[in-house]
Amino acid sequence: MAGFVTRREFLNLLGTTGGTAATLRAGAALGLLPGTAASANLDLLNLAGNSRKVAILGGGISGLTVAYELGKRGYDCEILEASHRCGGRIFTVRHGDLIDEIGNRQYCEFDDEPHMYFNAGAARIPSTHRNLLAYCKELGVELEIFINENKTSLVQDDAMLGGKPIRNIDYTTNMRGFMAELMAKAMTAEEMNSPFSESEAETLLGMIRDFGDLSEDDVYRGSFRAGYAEGGFLKHGVQNDMIAFRDLLQTRLGRQLMGANEGDTGPILLQPKGGMDKIIEGFLRQVGDRVKYRAMVAGVQVRDNGVEISYDQDGVRHTMQADYCFNCIPTHLMVGIDHNFPSDYVRAMKYVRRGEAYKAAFQARTRFWEDMDIYGGISWMNNPSRQIWYPTAGIHQQKGVVLGAYDYGGGMYHTKMTQAERIEAHLSDGEKLHPDYRNLVEKPITIAWHRMNHMLGCSARWQRSFGRGWTHEEEELYHRLQQPVNGRHYFIGDQVSMHSAWQESAVMSAQWAMSDLDQRVRAETA
Amino acid sequence: MNRNTFRVVAGSLLILVSGWLMAADDGREPFDDRYCTTCHGTDGQGNEGVQAPRLAGMEDWYLKRQLENFRAGIRGTHPMDVEGIAMQPMAAKLSDESIADIVEWVGSWPFKPAEVTVEGDAQAGAQLYTTCASCHGRDASGNEALGAPALLGQNDWYLVTQLKNFMAGYRGYHADDTYGQQMRPMAQMLGDEAGIINVVSYINSLAER
Ligand SMILES: Cc1cc2nc3c(=O)[nH]c(=O)nc-3n(C[C@H](O)[C@H](O)[C@H](O)COP(=O)(O)OP(=O)(O)OC[C@H]3O[C@@H](n4cnc5c(N)ncnc54)[C@H](O)[C@@H]3O)c2cc1C
Ligand code: HEC
Ligand code: HEC
Repeated sequence: MAGFVTRREFLNLLGTTGGTAATLRAGAALGLLPGTAASANLDLLNLAGNSRKVAILGGGISGLTVAYELGKRGYDCEILEASHRCGGRIFTVRHGDLIDEIGNRQYCEFDDEPHMYFNAGAARIPSTHRNLLAYCKELGVELEIFINENKTSLVQDDAMLGGKPIRNIDYTTNMRGFMAELMAKAMTAEEMNSPFSESEAETLLGMIRDFGDLSEDDVYRGSFRAGYAEGGFLKHGVQNDMIAFRDLLQTRLGRQLMGANEGDTGPILLQPKGGMDKIIEGFLRQVGDRVKYRAMVAGVQVRDNGVEISYDQDGVRHTMQADYCFNCIPTHLMVGIDHNFPSDYVRAMKYVRRGEAYKAAFQARTRFWEDMDIYGGISWMNNPSRQIWYPTAGIHQQKGVVLGAYDYGGGMYHTKMTQAERIEAHLSDGEKLHPDYRNLVEKPITIAWHRMNHMLGCSARWQRSFGRGWTHEEEELYHRLQQPVNGRHYFIGDQVSMHSAWQESAVMSAQWAMSDLDQRVRAETA
Repeated sequence: MNRNTFRVVAGSLLILVSGWLMAADDGREPFDDRYCTTCHGTDGQGNEGVQAPRLAGMEDWYLKRQLENFRAGIRGTHPMDVEGIAMQPMAAKLSDESIADIVEWVGSWPFKPAEVTVEGDAQAGAQLYTTCASCHGRDASGNEALGAPALLGQNDWYLVTQLKNFMAGYRGYHADDTYGQQMRPMAQMLGDEAGIINVVSYINSLAER
């Protein structure tokens, strides 16, 4: 049959991908063993009395990082924040909070309890994001494990098994079984003219069998890994029925399910106890008195010997003189603010596209998921709401806050709806997983980042053709934006990183900018 | 745009009308309707970064009509009108008093000519513009009696979007959009994108005279 991969072809595929590329990676990884946390290494000159004024535009985490670090070194820092709160895209929503979506402002009506919060922006911290974690430690932010992939959570697609939700573990166990069977067949074929030695082949085959829980004869016949249909503790367990390979292939969710535990979202993930904004609170315990709120930057003029900032607060336009300026205002907003930046810099600012992420949440009247053996984690749906997240926090309490939708790629689909339409969409999507969902949840909130005041987007997109990597031009523009103007004005934030949408990138961009400034200051004072 | 009305005031400038903040009775962060500059830039000078045009210097009557049209869904509701859809919900909840306040507020912003970003054949554009002049004026400063706004000094990239949208019927399609409907055949007369670029280049050149 045309279109089917032959064993030989499959094996060749295995040989090339598993052979060459994997070895290269393994080699490179050896050099990446973690050193000590970089923030401790941030070796900046202490000004000791020779105070210099620093204007920080925007109270995002990158701005707060600068205020904290330079403040420690004797710089006189001031943060101008347009909104009523710091944190920007680190936004934890609780009882009474304003969700400042322009044209659709909402107050959160969740019960007023410590575990009843929703991380509307950043929610997960990979254990490898060590600069961010170092600040958590230094600032006394208590962390707990975040549950991301959960094997008892659900997967649903109208195209699969008549739309009946199945457990993640049913999907992944069966899929691994079939994949392993394919691989094992390819491995044992006598025509194998393999790129492996006999003992390598044996090791590999062993792994393949364990990967899929194959029978002796390398056939997949179901597995106890997917749990028991009945028994299993006091009586012999009865194995769950196998789900046919073809059935599993009817959903495209498989790709995301099999990858959910890899890369940036692989274990171990962490979260601050009580909400992501505990990190912001940690910074504000140190630099809170340096923040001006509801102070909207209206102009940035870079001069030979400093930067002049103008901003609107309480109906009055103020001006401020500073020696240096660190700016985490999103570039797409900065384009419309008065400035005298050079044209190549402006070209880079204009090149960046803004993301469209969208989240929604409900208060659940009961923790109905726990009655289904689900504790934390994500259920997947092949509909626009995409995901339901069950909270890691508050296990066995009466109520909890569930994420009712997360569109991390598009987002405009829901953004363009009215509030009532959005909520109805999430309720009817959620009913596919939990038939009584509509009655189980209440007090909805939606966060359309594309319309959030003073943000209007989520995470800079530098690459025009996603997946095809950075073009030469894009790299040049990026490096231009990273460089300061006149040694005085620095853009910071995850927008000046090659890995946007992570707090770590925002923190590291700030550290890069401070190190660059430090070299200049040292050269001056030497 | 009636640029002469404005003077740039140095130092502290009182920019906001008082009494706008809605009282928060329970310590909650209050709402206000003064969010326009997040998108439209400092003093409404326009922001290419989010494709929101210049408001500073805009005629009161035109500004009011556009806000009312957006609010009523007469503009910014065609599914292909990406930028109009971004603006429409921003006006959807404005009250008449709010609109009046905003018009006054916008009127306090100093006008500065927009940066030139579009370059085409201004001479070819001059030919095309002769028709436009009958409504928008020879110097593109608008004509209130005909309901045609000033084009001079507006962001050129925005003029291009509008002409494309009129041409394709994404703006001026609504049965109640009497002013927008007049513009559709005018934009179609420009023929294609090159015509649009050329006529906008000509409008740009008027600013330099
Ligand atoms: C939906 C979503 C999910 C995410 N998930 C994760 C995650 O799981 N893990 C993770 O690590 N990261 C995640 N991120 C990314 C993370 O939130 C960001 O990378 C990080 O918070 C960006 O910080 P920043 O310093 O760049 O500034 P921002 O947070 O972008 O802050 C910019 C600040 O500038 C202010 N500002 C704007 N205009 C003006 C003006 N004119 N004057 C003064 N101030 C102004 C804004 O109010 C804001 O406070 C997520 C983000 C989103 C939106
Ligand atoms: C979320 C961003 C955003 C906000 C907030 C916003 N606008 Fe807009 N506005 C836009 C965009 C984008 C356009 C361009 C629409 C188009 O291209 O058709 C626009 C267009 C307009 C126009 C039409 C201009 C013309 O020449 O016809 C007016 C008037 C306007 N906005 C006024 C306002 C006012 C007043 C406010 C505050 C109450 C406001 N806008 C808030 C994004 C915004
Ligand atoms: C018959 C009179 C008339 C003619 C001729 C005319 N226009 Fe218009 N134009 C209008 C009116 C009226 C509006 C306002 C529409 C509205 O209120 O939505 C307008 C709006 C516009 C706008 C949108 C401005 C804004 O701020 O959104 C542009 C751009 C424009 N015209 C360009 C042109 C060009 C270019 C020509 C010539 C090819 C032209 N017009 C010819 C009447 C005219």
